[in-house]
Amino acid sequence: MNRLNFLMGMVMTSILSASMTSPSHAADGDYRRGLEKSQVCQSCHGRTGNESLQPSYPKLAGQHEDYLVHALKSYRSGSRQNAVMAGFAGNLSDQDIADLSAWYSRQDGLQDLEVE
Amino acid sequence: MIALMPLSGMAQGDPERGEVIAYTCSGCHGIPFYKNVYPTYSVPKLGGQNQEYLISALKAYREGTRKHATMQAQAATLSDQDILDVTAYFVSIGENGS
Repeated sequence: MNRLNFLMGMVMTSILSASMTSPSHAADGDYRRGLEKSQVCQSCHGRTGNESLQPSYPKLAGQHEDYLVHALKSYRSGSRQNAVMAGFAGNLSDQDIADLSAWYSRQDGLQDLEVE
Repeated sequence: MIALMPLSGMAQGDPERGEVIAYTCSGCHGIPFYKNVYPTYSVPKLGGQNQEYLISALKAYREGTRKHATMQAQAATLSDQDILDVTAYFVSIGENGS
């Protein structure tokens, strides 16, 4: 019986940890706060992320939320190197990143490729 | 000279040739919500992205200054002309609104 309880406990633990680490929960951002925090971003990427100041800057509007989180954390850690973005991302908390990604991912812009 | 430039302005490269090259890309980027793993995140949308950004990203992968095993391997097979053409195709998707 103890063994059964142990096994059940293990199963529940793995289900819980799997749901907690799933990407849909990883970025729990507030898009309204993201807009508030995006003042600096807007100067290059535009309000919705669909108006880049320079063509070498990416559009952000409509990009996948979890990709934006990944990109910002990569700039912050230095695993993705860009002098401009390193300076900005280095000051962001996880919550800032979640909020900003929530804002830009909810705008109209980028499209998926179509498989034919 | 200006009259000889394509109407789309900034876009260079041949999007029709680029569409052929992009067949491989669509195996990951053409499947909605397709996930990269370790770490897990959705592969980025490319349709309608700025061409100059896409060119710099592909060249950074090709040179190894931007790290991603699959993308480095893919970009290594692309010539400068391939990169121009395939990115012209990605831009055209946004223009068509499809």
